[in-house]
Amino acid sequence: MVTQLEQPVEEKATEKKMRKVAIYGKGGIGKSTTTQNTVAALAEMGKKVMVVGCDPKADSTRLLLGGLAQRSVLDTLREEGEDVELEDIRSGGFCNSLCVESGGPEPGVGCAGRGIITSINMLEQLGAYDEDEELDYVFYDVLGDVVCGGFAMPIREGKAEEIYIVCSGEMMAMYAANNICKGIMKFAETGVVRLGGLICNSRKVDREDELIQEFAKRLGTQMVHFVPRDNDVQRAEINRKTVIDWNPNCPQADEYRTLARNIDNNTLKVIPKPLPIDELEGLLMEYGLFN
Amino acid sequence: MNSVNTPSSIRVLDERSDQVWTKGSGKEFVCDKKSAAGSVTQRACAFCGSRVVLYPIADALHIVHGPIGCAVYNWDIRGSLSSGSQLNRNSFSTDLAEKEVIFGGEKKLKASLLELINFYQPKAAFVYSTCIVGLIGDDVGAVCKQVTKETGIDCIPVDSPGFKGTKKSGYQAACEAAYKLVGTGDTNGISKYSINLLGEFNIAGEAWMIRKYYEKIGIQVVSTITGDGRVDDLRRCHGAKLNLVQCSGSMTHLSKLLKDDYGIPMERVSFFGFEDTARAIYAAAEHFGDPELMRRAEELVRDEISKYAPKLKEYKKRLKGKKAALYVGGAFKAFSLVLALRSLGMQTVLAGTQTGSAEDYEQLKEICDPGTVIVDDSNPLELAKFVLEKDVDLFIGGVKERPIAFKLGVAFCDHNHERKIPLAGFEGMVHFAEEVANSACSPIWKYAPRRQAKALRLPEPEPTAPLACEGGAA
Repeated sequence: MVTQLEQPVEEKATEKKMRKVAIYGKGGIGKSTTTQNTVAALAEMGKKVMVVGCDPKADSTRLLLGGLAQRSVLDTLREEGEDVELEDIRSGGFCNSLCVESGGPEPGVGCAGRGIITSINMLEQLGAYDEDEELDYVFYDVLGDVVCGGFAMPIREGKAEEIYIVCSGEMMAMYAANNICKGIMKFAETGVVRLGGLICNSRKVDREDELIQEFAKRLGTQMVHFVPRDNDVQRAEINRKTVIDWNPNCPQADEYRTLARNIDNNTLKVIPKPLPIDELEGLLMEYGLFN
Repeated sequence: MNSVNTPSSIRVLDERSDQVWTKGSGKEFVCDKKSAAGSVTQRACAFCGSRVVLYPIADALHIVHGPIGCAVYNWDIRGSLSSGSQLNRNSFSTDLAEKEVIFGGEKKLKASLLELINFYQPKAAFVYSTCIVGLIGDDVGAVCKQVTKETGIDCIPVDSPGFKGTKKSGYQAACEAAYKLVGTGDTNGISKYSINLLGEFNIAGEAWMIRKYYEKIGIQVVSTITGDGRVDDLRRCHGAKLNLVQCSGSMTHLSKLLKDDYGIPMERVSFFGFEDTARAIYAAAEHFGDPELMRRAEELVRDEISKYAPKLKEYKKRLKGKKAALYVGGAFKAFSLVLALRSLGMQTVLAGTQTGSAEDYEQLKEICDPGTVIVDDSNPLELAKFVLEKDVDLFIGGVKERPIAFKLGVAFCDHNHERKIPLAGFEGMVHFAEEVANSACSPIWKYAPRRQAKALRLPEPEPTAPLACEGGAA
């Protein structure tokens, strides 16, 4: 009497793996703008993308949602208790992108870092990342620097596996990028997180392209794309839209499409080697003072 | 831990070697330092310290701004009695949870204060900050100000997040908070012979006994801080002419503030044992320099001693030659205990404190007998080691030391704030002697495995339970 065991059901051959991306960078560098424009381009390519804003200001999805006020996870949790549905906190944006805002306290009170932890846990519980959601990408747009444990949440425990750092050729932006690399290095030792590259959001400083390429090389990574400065970004933002949504034919829209494609094709994922401060300053001298 | 079978196999941690001192060794002794890692210190946190000091103020509302667990920690363990209001015995809490950690707890604190003040109409409210409040940065001071303005009831923030330090830094926070009330009351009718009793917590009614001594000889007691404490007494305590400070660890800061701002002189006293109690009464009488006061003081001391000395003699007969170990909060209490035990014919072989100062220890070293071990910031394992090594008959300590004594088969006397028997003053000394004698002379101890083995000259048995985890469970 041999019981024939049922054959395990064949896994779907085309099992897609969701890519988990987090965008970090100095405050004001253009993380939210870059993230949303990139997500718009990925969505246009037919990718299914969820954006999770990790900033108490809850302004990471405004362009994708056309300015729609999005109820944040934490506000919903506060007002309705644990009994929250995914639909209460997730809205559909441009090209079927999915938008979530973690939210957080008013400036000067409470602990926003703890809020990020609570919020991501909540999303997991609600199944926002489940396979049947068939996501190609989740993007975390994280405020400022890695300020405390809570804001490092997306790069801990494999919540995000690829980090892209938005920077420019300005000194403080590079300092911040270098610092974020230190954070990534710390978590990479025990986890799966890797650096995918630098995104240069140009501030039109001298030889910015070469400078960031060299900086990226020294960090052991690459510059994924050089996004030139263009007023169309500002114009689109005033209209509460991403550039692709506002004017799909303008040159800047193509820049974001290139960035999205580069990310989509990227296979270089490294543990960064942050630079000692004097080396970083030397780099700036070499490129910045050359004339 | 199974290698622990003889006291000599319990090693003092290397980092702690200079905090253990034997009289006659000539070695250096160090105190007032951070607890060593790996040592199960018997010290508590700043929150605990501030709470035990202020909590006996009976007609104030005490609210813990923090998670509910903090509200339970240390709640109502002190045997401080109140002659009236019992409001202080409630442990009110803002019950902070995840939501407040993220969004801040100020609103909840304000709502709680308004509701409680409205319901209980307290004389004042103390708001204790816990660790999490220190982290999320709630502006407790601002909330207190608002509520004070809206209700007319003084709300006083106590800056006591646990991580701030040991119990000692909590004492300081408590003094600062209490001092906010001082100077806000009317001092009319305060006698020129008047005192405050600082650091007297009315355990089992001790403050009432002590107060009576002074009133009998014609000295007015303006306030006892904080035993059977009242907000209105605190408000006018700056009108007193002398501060007697008993628990110096907790109240030296407040007495210094009173000295600096109001010029009130202070004197350290103790009400433990005949000698110290008499000295404390004479100290006040002498301070005011009125011969009549002194005459009455002498009369009182004579009467009391003649009333209780014969009883003590009985106990002394039974206790003579017995050895005691003591581990208490501050060193000033330790001196009194050493002297009191000596008056009962007993010898102190181990004396330790959690947070004694260098100055305190100097005095303690002086009054102890040669061979006595003095320890600072000790741990259960170390205490067990010395209890065994010195083969003590009695351990005097608090709730955390009790299981050490009992597991080792040694008599125990509770001399901490949880106790229910008054041990202060002349009468208290008799209670102390009675308790010590009943416990130390109980026949039960000869059945302790260690003692039995000794009587039969067998090798000592291994302790059945690990010694190291006992203190924490208490």
